[in-house]
Amino acid sequence: MARITLDRVSRVYAGGALGVQDISLDVADGEFLVLLGPSGCGKSTTLRLIAGLEEVTSGRISIGDRDVTDLRPRDRNLAVVFQSYALYPTMTVRANIGFGLRMRGMPASEIAARVDQAAALLGLTPYLDRKPAVLSGGQRQRVALGRAIVREPEAFLLDEPLSNLDAQLRAEMRAELVRLHRSLGRTIVHVTHDQVEAMTMGDRICILRAGRIEQVGAPLEVYASPANMFVARFLASPPMNFLPARLEAGAAPALVLAPGVAWPVPPAHAEAWGRAAGRPVMLGLRPEDFHLEPAPGRIACALAVTAVEALGPETIVTGDLVAVPGLASLKARLGRGQVPRPGESLTLHADLTAAHLFDPATEAVIPRPSVPQPVRSA
Amino acid sequence: MSMAGRAGSRGRAAQAALHLGLVLACLAVLLPILWVTRVAVVPASMSYAPGLLPELSGENFEALFAGRFPRSYVNSLIVAAGSVALAMPFAVTLGYAFARFGTAGRAGRFAVLATQMLPPVALVLPAFAILRSLGLTNSLPGLVLVYGALNLPFLTWIMMGFFKGIPVDLEWAAMSDGATAGQAFRIVVLPTALPGMAAAAVLGFILSWNEFLFALVLSGPRTATIPVALAGLQTSNGVQIGTVAAGVVLAVLPLIVASRFIQRFIVEGLTFGAVK
Ligand SMILES: Nc1ncnc2c1ncn2[C@@H]1O[C@H](COP(=O)(O)OP(=O)(O)O)[C@@H](O)[C@H]1O
Ligand SMILES: [Mg+2]
Repeated sequence: MARITLDRVSRVYAGGALGVQDISLDVADGEFLVLLGPSGCGKSTTLRLIAGLEEVTSGRISIGDRDVTDLRPRDRNLAVVFQSYALYPTMTVRANIGFGLRMRGMPASEIAARVDQAAALLGLTPYLDRKPAVLSGGQRQRVALGRAIVREPEAFLLDEPLSNLDAQLRAEMRAELVRLHRSLGRTIVHVTHDQVEAMTMGDRICILRAGRIEQVGAPLEVYASPANMFVARFLASPPMNFLPARLEAGAAPALVLAPGVAWPVPPAHAEAWGRAAGRPVMLGLRPEDFHLEPAPGRIACALAVTAVEALGPETIVTGDLVAVPGLASLKARLGRGQVPRPGESLTLHADLTAAHLFDPATEAVIPRPSVPQPVRSA
Repeated sequence: MSMAGRAGSRGRAAQAALHLGLVLACLAVLLPILWVTRVAVVPASMSYAPGLLPELSGENFEALFAGRFPRSYVNSLIVAAGSVALAMPFAVTLGYAFARFGTAGRAGRFAVLATQMLPPVALVLPAFAILRSLGLTNSLPGLVLVYGALNLPFLTWIMMGFFKGIPVDLEWAAMSDGATAGQAFRIVVLPTALPGMAAAAVLGFILSWNEFLFALVLSGPRTATIPVALAGLQTSNGVQIGTVAAGVVLAVLPLIVASRFIQRFIVEGLTFGAVK
């Protein structure tokens, strides 16, 4: 059983630099957990702490039912794939893959058999006698994976394993890693700063910021209910739009963007949002919550288009609200073939039932009942 | 079009001037060596004679081999190789500790260089006193010991540089693969640092090979190294320039070989970082 538990783990570096602070995390046996966050937020530190390559400043770490906080890396039986791949440059691919088995004193014949098997699985058989220096980036990445797989560890710790690959190879390896996870059934902690990897690969995402956990949850759950503005901004591209507003109570509560520009609060959210009445709020609307077609409950707003990115399957339109010039620059996601021109005025219909309100001071979400996933209109 | 042409011809002129400068610089470096070689291979009587190669002769080399030179050659080999062999294990472990663990801090790292910063004359008398108390003056082991000590700071710093260039990820990978810290160092780091160690060893060898002052003070007639032996050819009867030249030619030979090696190792040493 390889459930990984971090209990209030902190890591402070000499000189006071903060690695991670007060991380509590429970990775289930066999789970694929993605650690997501911007550069420098403590993802690698978390991984190194789990692997035992760095000592915790405080807190406990356990794997299965063993407290491993004071164990050396070699006694934790985890496999780490580093962002740099960290292949041993003086050894052949064969020796690289077999290294962990050799260190565990496995008989040479069995090492050879296992290395051959792993190499075949990863398509590395023709390269077994080469040195890492002559391999391509994708091949090196596979060697690093092979080195991890062959040991049959309790869990895999992957530190941005796909970040050095080109876009196409990265997409292939995303799928391949998910397949490997399914066939091996082992716990995986996968570090990335790429939100596509986070959304598509993991059972759950753990979002880190400046050494602290911001939110943990299933990808779609985090997407649908971000805990704060950071998560809302970070987990999607283009990120959520934020409009400063004021929540006015009354018989018909409304979000006032500017004098005379008031958007009615959807009745479903009136009660939950009511406690923020009379206060400034941040209205969060995802680019995909703007539509070209009107519908009951949608609020019409004119957008002065400033930029258009036609990506093929979709079009990202940037513009300013005509009613409130200078309020904020908005991005809207339109369907295929809908390509307005910069300078044009475009009438969009915002779906406020999908919107979130945030407290501008704390950036925390003002909770509301969850709504069924809005259906994308073409 | 004409602009490009003019720029091109100006570029060619600049290139020509550059190459002329380089050739002159090379000549400035090479001429003394070529002249020494010339003096070594002409008869002693013609050392100062005009003419490029008036006559070829091995007499200078014969004179050299009749004297104490062969002995000093062997002495130099023993002392240079021995001092490097003595210093390297310390330099490697110390350099690794400095590079990876910041042992002794910045101040400590620079303190190691202290002896390099003093003028050698300030060290040679204490070295003599120490060797005398050990009964090692006029002995090759004594010279090996002193040269080893002299080489240590600079070899340590070279090795520290190489170890800093080896990503710590390699050791982390080895340790999570089941190696102890010691195994990670021996099995992964050391082989990776091998080109660096070779380069450092060659540099240390050259330094010891050319050292004169300590050898002069600490060695006796039977333990003289090449520089001391060659200096000994400058007698009160005048300088036997032909014999000296022959000795210089032989002394420089291993250095030429070594510098070829060092080039290869340093290039290799700098490119292993490409393994990403
Ligand atoms: N050895 C170290 N010494 C001091 N600070 C460090 C060290 N390693 C990491 N840090 C700091 O800890 C924070 C988290 O680093 P890291 O875990 O590498 O971030 P990332 O999320 O990009 O992997 C960063 O601010 C970094 O500067
Ligand atoms: Mg990192």
